[in-house]
Amino acid sequence: MTSVAVAGRPGRAVSQLAIRQIRRGGLIVAVLAGGMTAIVAATFDQVMADPAAAGSLQALASNPAIRTLFGDPIGLDTAGGFTVWRVGTVTTVLLGAWAILATTRTTRGEEEGGRWDLLLSGRITLTGALARHLAAVMAIAVATAVGITGALIASGTPAPGALIHGMGTGLAGLFFGATAALAAQIFPTRTPATGTAVAVLAVTLLARMIGDGVPALGWLRWLSPFGLMALSEPYVHNRAVPLLVLLAAAATVTVAVPLAAARRDVRGGLVAPPTGRPARLRLLDNVEAFAIRRVLRPLTGWALGIGAYFLLIGLTATSVTEFLAGNPALAGQAAEAGFADLGSVAGFAATLFALLAMPVGGFATVRLSAFVAAETDQRLALLAAQPISRARLLGAETAATAAAAVLLISVAGLTTWAGVALTGGHLALTAALHGVWNTFPVVLLSLGAAVLATGWAPRWTGVLGALPAIGGFLLLVIADSVAAPAWVKSLSPYSHLAPVPLAGADWAATAVMLALTAVLTVAGLAGYRQRDLRS
Amino acid sequence: MTDIALRAVHLTKRYGRLTALDDLNLDVIRGEVFGFLGPNGAGKSTTIRLLLGLARPSSGHAEVFGVAAADVTRAHRLLAYVPADVALWPHMTGAEILHLQARTGPGTDLAYRDELVDRFELDPSKPARTYSTGNRQKVALIAAFATRAPLLVLDEPTSGLDPLMEREFRTAVRSARDRGQTVFLSSHQLAEVEAVCDRVAILRAGHLADVATMSGLRALHRSEVTVSYTGPAPALAVVPGVEAITETGEGQLRFTLTGPPAPALRSLAAAGVTALAVREPSLEEVFLDYYGTENGR
Ligand SMILES: Nc1ncnc2c1ncn2[C@@H]1O[C@H](COP(=O)(O)OP(=O)(O)O)[C@@H](O)[C@H]1O
Ligand SMILES: [Mg+2]
Repeated sequence: MTSVAVAGRPGRAVSQLAIRQIRRGGLIVAVLAGGMTAIVAATFDQVMADPAAAGSLQALASNPAIRTLFGDPIGLDTAGGFTVWRVGTVTTVLLGAWAILATTRTTRGEEEGGRWDLLLSGRITLTGALARHLAAVMAIAVATAVGITGALIASGTPAPGALIHGMGTGLAGLFFGATAALAAQIFPTRTPATGTAVAVLAVTLLARMIGDGVPALGWLRWLSPFGLMALSEPYVHNRAVPLLVLLAAAATVTVAVPLAAARRDVRGGLVAPPTGRPARLRLLDNVEAFAIRRVLRPLTGWALGIGAYFLLIGLTATSVTEFLAGNPALAGQAAEAGFADLGSVAGFAATLFALLAMPVGGFATVRLSAFVAAETDQRLALLAAQPISRARLLGAETAATAAAAVLLISVAGLTTWAGVALTGGHLALTAALHGVWNTFPVVLLSLGAAVLATGWAPRWTGVLGALPAIGGFLLLVIADSVAAPAWVKSLSPYSHLAPVPLAGADWAATAVMLALTAVLTVAGLAGYRQRDLRS
Repeated sequence: MTDIALRAVHLTKRYGRLTALDDLNLDVIRGEVFGFLGPNGAGKSTTIRLLLGLARPSSGHAEVFGVAAADVTRAHRLLAYVPADVALWPHMTGAEILHLQARTGPGTDLAYRDELVDRFELDPSKPARTYSTGNRQKVALIAAFATRAPLLVLDEPTSGLDPLMEREFRTAVRSARDRGQTVFLSSHQLAEVEAVCDRVAILRAGHLADVATMSGLRALHRSEVTVSYTGPAPALAVVPGVEAITETGEGQLRFTLTGPPAPALRSLAAAGVTALAVREPSLEEVFLDYYGTENGR
């Protein structure tokens, strides 16, 4: 059946292949974007019916820090304007990021993995295959645009505004999909292609933020899909020109894709991969050094991400806390939602530092999962055949991961402190560091759980490792919102974290978590010593 | 140190209901090149993983020069290993991987390693992600041959090499033996084993079928003899070891011969033999004798 289709209509078969690879993720993105839009639009009447809430919203929107993050709040007094402001950036980033990942995965990723060799040996050309895969991603962007527009119109907002916002989001999706496809022609491997396209997304988002926040640099918004969407001012002025600019940009990048593809070989890129390089022999002298060497690159990436986020937290801390201190009603609402003492920088920092255990616990889990992956794909076999005990092999990995985690949380403390200091706020460096280090036991619990899984159930390393730091946080959030009994909440390590630097550390809880970590780690090492390596 | 480089005692490995290796008893003597022959799925890699302590036996035990295989910090100081599917860290260059292996291994002759890099024509400056299967295998082979470990354990190490490189491989195996290293070479290629091994074990479906020297192995098996004669037809049917006598033409006979040829030659003496050809069995045929027509497992 299928082979007949391939023989008769090769192009169609490739399109079907392209759609099959992205349909599930694409459907989730489209439904999520449309659904979030519909839900927020539906809450507008409720918010506006409560004068206090409406006032708080206006005050919140006028806060410079919030404006920087969410964009200029225009037309907040209409359901459409309100919705665009609240979810517009999130849905656009969601669609853009998905379009990038899906495009590089289905084009460069497949080509790099050699799965296009067979495809291209038939009647399909490289440009043809590329066009069909990009078209599939772009179809999802269009579907998302239709979903958002439909959700806004169905919520009773005026059609022109709905169309302008929906089209803006869809065009941004097309632009980022095309950008990813172009990056995939330039680089011969998937990682730099994805990285470049994601960097374009991040930089253009930043350009919009700067353009919004610094009037003199307002023109920056013309260079960014996010900025152009803001300039189109849906529901207020409904300007078409910025969207035409965005359309022209997306079309230009799209046209550049086949032009670039025509100038390269299959499995090649416009830039050749480095064919050789001098040996870098540092950190190769023993397994401990080698574990450090392998963690350095991911550590840098994670540190950049976490550092940027907490720098932003630091930069906005003073402004947000002053604002909350001056708005007792909003502070009261925040307190009800479980964020007590957001009115002081220390309280604000303590609340956000607790969140730090999530990404860093995730980092530890990802590292141990990568170690298991190296075992599964036999990369570890050469080392395992050296005179190195199993305990030392896993121990080195665990120690290097723990050390990297300490660095990561310290980076968060340093950047928060730097951000607060830059904006003239008050947060002592030692207070910031104590605050971040206080979360370390939760990170260690995740690491210990991941080591346990590595020793006894390697396939479950990701799940088990994520359980304390990420599962624990979700448990707390869910338990809070369904008013679960106290013992359920106490299962989460987060419920035993003291709000440092606002208060002192809970040393008893810390000791229990450290002891638990030790037990998990020792049990994991014991399992790893006696089990078969995976083959 | 004992003279037994590798010893398997009642070594058994079960994966659920599948017995991948069943009660293997084997001694590999120091200094020999030992072939470990068997079709795919016979249990060769499983055996090697047990010998290296990468997997734990279901029962029985293994020793490397008298050291328990499970004691890897001591046992692995005495061996170097080339796995069946060589996987490397994709971002590291060949040179970096060789350096790591040398620094963490049982001791490496760096000058000889550089010579091997030349002989195997490996470009060590490339990142491993760009290496073909054969090139990855070369990295592992160079790392192993360059060690001064007394035992080299090689699991189907030439499956990705081209014929020229296979020749280099055979040269390297012989140099290793000349230096006194023991080589344990698993293979499903008869020609390779035939070319370099002193003794060979044949594994089938997890069972050890036979252990023999190369010449002993062939002797155990039938040679094919073709004779032309002018005298009376020889009375071969009663001669021990002679089977499958066929008349291939006027005054021409073909038969198979197992064991010493003297009795057959005596009965041929009266027949006025004008031509005689003895064909040694290829190892393929030897192999088929063990496995029959069915394919191992
Ligand atoms: N980890 C494992 N789990 C289950 N079965 C395995 C595992 N490793 C090997 N086997 C099975 O054991 C048998 C022997 O495999 P192997 O030792 O790899 O054979 P060879 O190396 O001789 O080709 C095969 O049937 C294989 O499927
Ligand atoms: Mg094998």
